[in-house]
Amino acid sequence: MKTTLPTRLAQVVAASILIFASVMKFKGDPGAIEIFTKLEMEPGGRYIAAIFEMLAGLLLLSSFAAFGSVLAIGMMAGALIAHATRLGLEVNNDGGALVGQLAIVLLSSLFVAISRRKEIPIIGSSF
Amino acid sequence: MNSSLALDLEKTSRTANGGIVVLLGLFALAGNFISFYFHFGTVAFLLLVLLNTYWRHFQSSHTLLANFGFLAQFRYLAESVGPEFRQYLFSSDTEERPFNRNERAEVYRKSKGIDSSSAFGTLLSYDPEEAKIRHSFYPTDKQRLEKFDVAVGAARGLETTYHINRPIMISAMSYGALGENTVRSLARGAKLAGIPMNTGEGGYPKYHLMENCDLIFQLGTAKFGVRNEEGYLDDQKLADLAAKDQIKMIEIKLSQGAKPGKGGLLPKEKITKEIAELRGVPQDKDVLSPAHHLECVDAKTTVEFLARVQKVGGLPTGMKFCLGRDDEFRELVQEMKRQKTLPDFITVDGGEGGTGAAPKSFMDDLGMPLFEALPLVHQILSEEGVRAQIVLFASGKLISPGKQIKAMSLGADVAYSARGFLLSLGCIQALQCNKNSCPVGITTHEPHLQKGLNIEDKSKRVANYVDALHHEFDELLAATGAASASSLTTKNIYFSNANQSVAANN
Repeated sequence: MKTTLPTRLAQVVAASILIFASVMKFKGDPGAIEIFTKLEMEPGGRYIAAIFEMLAGLLLLSSFAAFGSVLAIGMMAGALIAHATRLGLEVNNDGGALVGQLAIVLLSSLFVAISRRKEIPIIGSSF
Repeated sequence: MNSSLALDLEKTSRTANGGIVVLLGLFALAGNFISFYFHFGTVAFLLLVLLNTYWRHFQSSHTLLANFGFLAQFRYLAESVGPEFRQYLFSSDTEERPFNRNERAEVYRKSKGIDSSSAFGTLLSYDPEEAKIRHSFYPTDKQRLEKFDVAVGAARGLETTYHINRPIMISAMSYGALGENTVRSLARGAKLAGIPMNTGEGGYPKYHLMENCDLIFQLGTAKFGVRNEEGYLDDQKLADLAAKDQIKMIEIKLSQGAKPGKGGLLPKEKITKEIAELRGVPQDKDVLSPAHHLECVDAKTTVEFLARVQKVGGLPTGMKFCLGRDDEFRELVQEMKRQKTLPDFITVDGGEGGTGAAPKSFMDDLGMPLFEALPLVHQILSEEGVRAQIVLFASGKLISPGKQIKAMSLGADVAYSARGFLLSLGCIQALQCNKNSCPVGITTHEPHLQKGLNIEDKSKRVANYVDALHHEFDELLAATGAASASSLTTKNIYFSNANQSVAANN
């Protein structure tokens, strides 16, 4: 299947945000520490999330982008749950910037997953 | 069949479909009230529930998924890995197709130069319906065996007459179907072994020419490499190619065993700049391979075309086909006699022949098998009094010396093999030649898959295979009591009652 330019663009956008967020978590950014403290997952949960985000970001830039997009959707679904149940829309007075980033990654990953769905073994053929 | 142990699939799937929703709820609650870590499970089950809802209620192309939900995916999963499981674990050594494990292992051993003797007895059922070679009470002494020598073009007194000195040649496979490393390994191996290699119909044989082996240029129905824009033969291009030192013979392909009566389509997406150049086609249009040469619409025009290629090329020139109707073939031979134009050789391709890609129904249901077609062609040529002037090549699963001796007993002068040589390169019969994903890098253009195919190493295996085949061929030949392959006849072959018709015809 030929990959179109919008799909590649969506991959790069999602991957950049994910990799940046992952690096911030690894570095122990105070904002990230605060979030994971609220979730009672500090520091273990922060590192697990950072590993998954990094993996999803790198996969999105490789020929396994379809897998990366599914992983990214999963991560973003988890983040949505966190915002919905514990963090709220605004975190550290960011005016909803974090949720905005989350939405961008989720939508672009969904777009990648849909346009590359045939590349996912077994499941892909059912769409 | 009713058994108390039988699984009620409907009930199981209903439970599973409900179960994942319950699990989703439990993980969500645990994530909220116990630890946020449980939300990893929430996310996983959320995605599964969403997918399952889609499969069960919003799609109709997969009945099993619609009726049973996600559990039905296990069937698709099992089905998708079935061929590998069967090949590695469950199929016996003698039951796979097109080549069983024993046949493949034999080629691997020959190409690696490993002793291929076996113990205790044949693993075959010694099928009484299969033809067997008859041995003689008085085997020929090895030193009395004549050197294998078949001269192609000698009947016309051509200066370019070509001598074939080994019983096996590399059959037609084009660059395109094969990757660059494969073509070069085969060509270098052919050079080492001293056998000619057929270029296939893929156009200008750039990679074949690199290794300096003797070549048989195949002129396919689309005439890639020597065509004009309308798809007719361009005489000048053919003359230029035929003037090359390495091109020793020209083979006009009328049809192929795996897909007789069928042309091909090369979609424009697959036409790289290089392929467009080599095949002489535009890069921005789909290229249709016609089912027949545009010049050949009946016996008369076919023979006229043969005469034209013989004249333009100046080389031994023959034709390849898979036999369909023997009355048509007889008519063609009679037309050749009328026009005093005989091919220097004829290649009979059995319906069991291989291909990189062909519709399944063409592979399965069209074309006569080699061991039925070959004696018929031999008989018709003999009856028409032209057999002595035409060399007969045979192809169709002739990967072992025994099969080659049988083919020669039925009328062939030289054997061709394509897949045998792919096996010598390490083909594992993954059956992915049409997908560009060949795991051993043979029928693919992917650089990362071709990486493992070392030309130097593999070309030696090709040569080893030819040497071992030839050695065993001579041993079998000696056992029949014949002094040369050309003296083999149907007397040297045994047919069961089921196959008496073939013997009776000869």
